[in-house]
Order: sequence, then structure tokens, then C-alpha cells
Amino acid sequence: MRDILDTLARWKASGAKVATATVVSTERSAPRDPGAMLAVSESGDVAGSVTGGCVEPAVFEEAREVLAGGGARLRTYGIADEEAFEVGLPCGGTVHIFVDAMDPATIDPLAKAIEEERPVARVVPVSGPNAGAERLVFADEEAGDEIGRTAQELLAAGETAVVRVGDDEVFVDSFAPRPNMYVFGAVDHAAAVAEIGRFLGYRVTVCDARAKFVTTERFPEADELVVEWPDRFLERSPVDERTAICVLTHDHKFDIPALKAALETNAGYIGAMGSRRTTEQRRELLRAEGVSDEELARIHAPIGLRIGARTPQEVAVSVAAQLIEVLRAPKESRAEAVTP
Amino acid sequence: MNVLVEAGRLTAEGRPFALATVVDVERPASARRGDHAIVTPEGALHGWVGGACTESTVVREGLLALADGESRVVRVEGGCASEGTIELLVEPRLPTPLVSVVGDSPAARTLVELAQTLGWRVAEQLESQADAVVIASMGQGDEEALQAALAGGAGYVGLVASSKRGSAVLAELRTRGLDEEALARVRCPAGLDLGPSSQEEIAVAILAELVAWRHTKPVSPGQLVEPVVAIDPVCGMTVTIAGATETAVHGGVTYYFCGSGCRRRFEEGAERYLEATS
Repeated sequence: MRDILDTLARWKASGAKVATATVVSTERSAPRDPGAMLAVSESGDVAGSVTGGCVEPAVFEEAREVLAGGGARLRTYGIADEEAFEVGLPCGGTVHIFVDAMDPATIDPLAKAIEEERPVARVVPVSGPNAGAERLVFADEEAGDEIGRTAQELLAAGETAVVRVGDDEVFVDSFAPRPNMYVFGAVDHAAAVAEIGRFLGYRVTVCDARAKFVTTERFPEADELVVEWPDRFLERSPVDERTAICVLTHDHKFDIPALKAALETNAGYIGAMGSRRTTEQRRELLRAEGVSDEELARIHAPIGLRIGARTPQEVAVSVAAQLIEVLRAPKESRAEAVTP
Repeated sequence: MNVLVEAGRLTAEGRPFALATVVDVERPASARRGDHAIVTPEGALHGWVGGACTESTVVREGLLALADGESRVVRVEGGCASEGTIELLVEPRLPTPLVSVVGDSPAARTLVELAQTLGWRVAEQLESQADAVVIASMGQGDEEALQAALAGGAGYVGLVASSKRGSAVLAELRTRGLDEEALARVRCPAGLDLGPSSQEEIAVAILAELVAWRHTKPVSPGQLVEPVVAIDPVCGMTVTIAGATETAVHGGVTYYFCGSGCRRRFEEGAERYLEATS
């Protein structure tokens, strides 16, 4: 939905009513993840998408009915393989899509929270006594009731789903803050890695102790530039399982303390650049500092998948591919999802 | 004309050329270390790397570099009475690969965006001279697009689809008469298997596969430049290859001459005319 926030804000400013269709869950392969959104304005303008374009016409019609006062609805588009050619998903998957009229009052606070990286969920009871009572739930505010607590739980897991809460079926659309990517070493490769990191939805920080290299001219894509020793920066910065740490200086003076600090966190990905020889020397130095082999195994070095990358941009692609491979492990759902 | 500015212009236009750089000189020589010249596929030389004495050798090596995609170090010894020895690095500067992304889908648009960050040339429709074709039409005419892509010379042909859907598309092409050899060229699903699911992740997986594919084939045949002219090794004149009658084969290489006189002199002692380079 992030991709269409600007459009939603514009439509709201013009006073137009808006219906939104959101991917709630998917089975087998589907072109887009839960949370993907298509919005339709009163005048029939369309923004965003929920699949690769195959079920959009049907979803558009549902949205038009909602705008005409037809009420919120859950729809399932699942295609038998032999029919796949005719109507639906080329991938043969199934998507569950929730269509409702968006409360214009939620758009601005939602956009503001997303902008500020403040965790927020849009919560819409689909059926039951509270049906249609749309609200926003923040991670840092009192939940208030059972629906609020359930929404906070899903938000903490970064999940968008329809769940049962008492007598209600509730659609929870989670907007977790972007995961962090910390790039250490203001080198040419860092600019390319920062750019592709942004592309993959990371909030990218480039950090180097050498002030003259850390400039916005060199790193236009970075969300934040920090002049500090990476190990000190890590001590004061948030790290979780989604965090990616890329150590790119290939200078032991900076790399060794940075990697030691990174290994003390639960970062989901730690990669370090350098030739095989540099990598071997670095391992010895880290061992001498008391780092165990088990800890060393957490470091992806030399960084990136082996695809023969040569230019900084190609190296960045290899790093991004490795990030996806490492961090895209299947996750267990925390709340029991309702299969519509 | 500044040679490097011209080189930048040609690169931006996606046109091939060879860049010659003087890396060493033994006096007396009129060129200096760091001097540059450009050799175009038409055999023209722009820039100064020692004048007429070295020109014919530089043009010849430049054309060879464009034809085989390899850089070379060339040594020109005593090209003229006044000249010492000049050593040059001659590098082919071939256009970056051209990727055709076929389809009007979010997946296609995302891939186009990411491919541009790699500095490759990207076309949003099928181009006959494309080095790589990625079909992301998501069920809207996949078969037709694949058939057209396979008919071209692209070294990489990928289909964005699930493996099940991909098998169905390939089966349909089989019934249309495409042979197994052609079908085996299709990478489906396109991209390294990273277990990706978002548009952005699929785009990264495809680009990673393209980088790996390009690495195994540093230069695709479509990028190389067949020379249209050659340098007469005896007199240094530029000779048009098409329709040339005065030719000689020496050490597996065909040489072209301005006339029968040069050809005869070459045949009497080829080494004499070829020893200027190493």
C-alpha cells in the first residue's frame, strides 16, 4: 500500500470516495504479497495492484459495488490449473482479497505514521458485532480491547491477515516500519548496495568514520548518513531479525570491530566484502579476538552470491540476491488466520 | 575534440569503439604516456597516439579487439625513422547488454526499473538484437512472445511464471512445432531460485541470473563487431573487406591489401610486416 499512499492522499484532498482491495492471504504462488493494495476512486481511477493484472478487472467491479454502497466483502480468486489460461492467475495460485470503502479520516494519520516509521495497523472488522468499525492501532499505544491486542500482535510480526477475535472476523493490515540495512564503509560499492537496498524496501543507513567520504552526493539513495565508528553506531542503533548489516570497507581496522559488534546482535544477515585472502585474514583476526567458529559462520564472506559480479552494481545485485535467500525463510503465523 | 568526451558520447549512444591508451614510450617518440585515441568500427582513428607511424597498427588492433571482445597490449617498434617504441593498451568498448522486457505487468515494470540501475540497456518490447529477453506478460500472450524471442538470437530467454504454468506454455509451443533444442533455451521460472515472492525480489533473482549468465559469456556474439574494413599490413592503407580481391591467409588470419603489389610483398616475407606488434 505504501506505493499508492500519495495517490490516496490526493484523492482524499479532492473529496473523492475511495474503495480499496487488499491481498489478505495467498496460497501457493501468487504475484504479490499480503498487504498489496488496489484502490479505486469514485470517478473510476485506479492505483496499485493486487496481482499481476489477471484478477484486477473482477476486483475493480467489486470495488465499484462497494463504492455504490454494497458493503465490505472478502473474495477468493483461485484458479484450477486447466482454467488458468482463461481467467486467472498464471501462477496457478489462490488469493484472498478484502474489498472495503476506506474511511477518509484514517488516510492522513496512516500516511503520517508510515512516514515516521511508526508501527501502525489498519483494522477493519469484516463481520460480527463490530463490522465496519474501521480504526488505526499503534504499537506504542494502549490496545484498549481484544481486537486492539490481537492487531498489535500481528503488527509485531509484520503480518496482514483476517483473524477471528471473539465473535468478530477482523482484517488487520500491518504497516511495520521498513527493516534496517546498515552499510559500513562509504565506498563505491556502498552506493550501489544502498540503492538496491532501498529498492527492496530497506531503510538504508550508510556509516563510516571518515567524514569526507560520507556525503549526500555520493549516497543520494541512503535514508541516513552517519559519521561514526560502525561498532559504536551499532551499540546505539536498533537491530532485529530483519536487519541486514553489510560491512564493505575491507580494511581490518574498521571491519574487525564492526563485525564483532554485529555478531553481538541478532541481525538476520551479516555480510563482509573482501577477497578470499582478506576474508581468511579477517577470520584469523576475529578468532584471535575470541570469536567462535559458530559465530564466524554467521558472516557471509566474501559477501554476495557467486554470480561472477564485477562492477559495483553487479556486486550489489549479488548482495541483494543473498539477502533474499537468507532472510526469506518461511515464517510461522502467530495468530490463527481464518481461511475465508 | 577531446577523445574521452567523444568516448563518453559513443558509450551513451550505445555505439561500439576501441579505446587505445599509450602506456609506455621509449624515446624518441611523439606520443606520451596517457595519450588516447578511439578506433571506430569503420576503421577511423580519432586522437593522437603517435601519428601516421603507429596509426595503421592501432586501427588494425582496434578492429580485431572489436571483433573478438578481448583487450590487448600492442608494441609498435620503430614505426617510423624518427620514432622509438610505443606500447599501447587497446580495449574494446562494446555496448552494455540489451535486455528486452516483454509484457505490461507490475513484474515487467519492476524489472525494467532495476535493470536500469545495473547500467544495462533496457527495451520495453522485444528487440531483434536483444542479448537477453525476459517475458513477463503474465499469461497475456506468453506463447507468442516466447516464440518470437526464440526466433531471435538472444542468448538468454526467460519466462516469468510458476514452473507449472511454464510447463503448460512449453507444452503449447511443442504442439506448435518448436523442437526440444529451442525449448531447452527457455529458463522457466526466470531467475535464480531464491524462494522469492515480491515483485522486487523476483526482479533481483532475474538480474542475478542475468549477471551470472553474462559472466559465463563475457561478450555475446551479438555485441561483437564484424570489421567492415581492414588495414593493409604493408602500406597501412584502409581496405574495405566486402568484395576485396587481394587477400592472403597467414597463421589463420586473413589479411587484406590495397593491390597486388602489397600482397606479393607480404607473401614474400609476412614476418617483416607483422613484427611491429606483439
